[in-house]
Amino acid sequence: MSKNVQSKAESIINHARGLRWQVGESFHDRAIEALYEEATTIAGKSVIIAGEPPRFNFDRTLDRLVTSRWTGFPIMFLLLAAVFWLTIELANIPSQMIAGLLLDTVHPALKEFGVWIHMPGWLSGLLFDGMYLAGAWVISVMLPPMAIFFPMFTLLEDFGYLPRVAFNLDFMFRKAGAHGKQALTMVMGYGCNAAGVVAARIIDSPRERLIAIITNNFSICNGRWPTQILIATIFLGALAPPHLAGMASALAVVAVVLIGVFFMFVVSWGLSRTVLRGEASTFSLELPPYRPPRILQTLYTSVIDRTLIVLWRAVVWAVPAGALIWLVSNISLGGQSLAEGVINWLNPAGVLIGLNGVILLAYVIAIPANEIVIPTVLMLTVLAAKMAGVGSGAGVMFEFDSTEATAMVLQAGGWTILTGINLMLFSLLHNPCSTTIYTIYRETGSVKWTAVATLLPVILGVIVCFLVAQVWRMAG
Amino acid sequence: MNPGEMLIGVLVLLAGASALFWPDRGLMARIKTSKLQADRERVEDALKHLYDMEAKGLPCTPEGIADALSMSAPESANLLRRLVSIGLLKAEGGAFRLTSEGRSYALRIIRVHRLWERYLADETAVSESDWHLEAEKKEHLISAEEAAALERRLGHPAYDPHGDPIPSAAGELPEVSWKSLTALKEGEIAGIVHIEDEPPAYYAQLAAQGFYPGLQVRVIELRTDRITVEANGNEIALAPVLAANLSVVSLPAEQIKSGIVRTLSMLRPGERGIVTGISQACRGLQRRRLMDLGVVPGAVIEVAMESVTRDPVAYSVRGATIALRKQQADMIFIEEKGGE
Repeated sequence: MSKNVQSKAESIINHARGLRWQVGESFHDRAIEALYEEATTIAGKSVIIAGEPPRFNFDRTLDRLVTSRWTGFPIMFLLLAAVFWLTIELANIPSQMIAGLLLDTVHPALKEFGVWIHMPGWLSGLLFDGMYLAGAWVISVMLPPMAIFFPMFTLLEDFGYLPRVAFNLDFMFRKAGAHGKQALTMVMGYGCNAAGVVAARIIDSPRERLIAIITNNFSICNGRWPTQILIATIFLGALAPPHLAGMASALAVVAVVLIGVFFMFVVSWGLSRTVLRGEASTFSLELPPYRPPRILQTLYTSVIDRTLIVLWRAVVWAVPAGALIWLVSNISLGGQSLAEGVINWLNPAGVLIGLNGVILLAYVIAIPANEIVIPTVLMLTVLAAKMAGVGSGAGVMFEFDSTEATAMVLQAGGWTILTGINLMLFSLLHNPCSTTIYTIYRETGSVKWTAVATLLPVILGVIVCFLVAQVWRMAG
Repeated sequence: MNPGEMLIGVLVLLAGASALFWPDRGLMARIKTSKLQADRERVEDALKHLYDMEAKGLPCTPEGIADALSMSAPESANLLRRLVSIGLLKAEGGAFRLTSEGRSYALRIIRVHRLWERYLADETAVSESDWHLEAEKKEHLISAEEAAALERRLGHPAYDPHGDPIPSAAGELPEVSWKSLTALKEGEIAGIVHIEDEPPAYYAQLAAQGFYPGLQVRVIELRTDRITVEANGNEIALAPVLAANLSVVSLPAEQIKSGIVRTLSMLRPGERGIVTGISQACRGLQRRRLMDLGVVPGAVIEVAMESVTRDPVAYSVRGATIALRKQQADMIFIEEKGGE
């Protein structure tokens, strides 16, 4: 009996094995087709569609407008320009208020408090001048623009407009081996690279997503805009006649942004054809129907999910950096501070690529946040050039209220137009901040891609700065 | 020499010696492993070659092996003698035959090779012309357990992307009734089931001309110097040596797609069609994504709008609007249905 069952089972198994070869390659496809067919039949029997949905015509008209050959791009540029302009205009006021509170009121109060409880000088310096100041600086520069930029961006997304931007721009990204949605992560990067890297989740194809993550750093972020604008005003605006100075410096910043876009495309193209060639790739882009944006929900999610999380991470990284900045400026070895020693040591390399030791050291110790690069540069310049009576002392970051004062300090520190140009380029092409590096690691889960995303821009930056310096010096 | 220098000298010597002789990690151990690996690869390549020759019904001689594996005649004679001594081969007259152990060893390697090709085709974007070469390397490095895990992950595929059946873990292969494309008559319609992947240059040429397993072809003209076929609405001319590398089966009448083949990319705004299929050349992630979006045979699809540059184009399918690039729309076959 059992033998009979066994032989029967065996013959069934053998039969099944034989059938396996006959079902061929496409049986998965046929299973999916059958499921859809079944679902369609059921839906056809039980779902009644009451007339044509009214939103149809509005959607069609709007879509025709935003994707037309004549109006598509102008509408896009106007909207994005409006978002940027509003961000810059609206962020100024709260930024100054927060800076006034955290840097000009709370900071001196904390110092006084330190004196009052007889805190040793080094401890109050480390805590208040180093750690507190770095954290406060990052908050005051970063929070207002992000809290304005992200909600506006999210509203456009919620309304359904952003997928249409990706749709219109895909042709450029396709040629670079990337996805049209990279246009969106790139724009997000102009707010914050860490947020841009997270936003790359919207790209569902593995290869294109990695490309978007690795190249996001070519969008100059919120922390780098002030550097660009300041240096452009000091070094390039001054070259033009006074009534055109504003225009000249604005053009210089736009040029740097365009250089960033150029590198983004070139690096995307290179990556997709070399190291990322084997990664799986596909394209699909859903264009959801337009809908009225949910304003309160958008405000909540973009402020909580995007702004505060990113800000928190930045502060967590900036605080130890503040401590480090204070320590290198205040620990002395053989009569000079550690910072001076390193600056002197780095200076030849810095000068070779058209920068200087101060800038290189500032970029090393201010990795956690681009926001504190300029205050660190100023402090280190004063420290290294031993300018008496300028700034707030060793290890205490500061900024001037007037551009002229900043220009004077930098020129006294030996800066030339070349230094200015190269600093702008290096600010564009250097490693992402540590928050972004950490985010890249979290998003990709790979040390390899994190290393590529970190090192590639620095290497490019050094090469570009070196070439510019050589050409500049040859030209006279 | 003072004691300090001596100590440093001894340390340097020790470091050098351990770098050379450290078990598993040292240079000597590495050379030995890589030699063993190279030897293993030669043995496995020889078994594969023998299997191939037997499958084609050709005799296998030491000269043939030497030629196929690019080694000298004495080397190949040596290798064959060794294979006989470990029971993988037996000598019959001047030729060699695989023993059943030898055959199952060869099938294991072929199984890994074809599974890996399937993996490259479905899960990566490695280009078609590199599949075979990559698998040639990988086949020696994957264990039976890893192969079984890979097979599970890929959903137990039966065929590799060239149409070759993948041997099961027990070494089973189906009977196939393929014939060469050159054996067809003018006007005959057949389905391509297999494209020979060697030599790679021929394969690359065939792939570039748009051939893939699952393609339906109709012979238009047979000449001694050229064969012309029609596939997906295009006429393709082939040299007979290339055509001989394509295997076909005749299709049952209900599977023959008739009429003019149209692709989704031919539709203009406002026009609609019914999906009849997705080309087999669209594989893996790309294919799954399209099917997930509801692009399956029978679905009604309409051009919703074109982007500023007319590529990508947005289509409405099953109530959703999705944008596809032209390269994708080219791989979706449709049948036209007049707009309403």
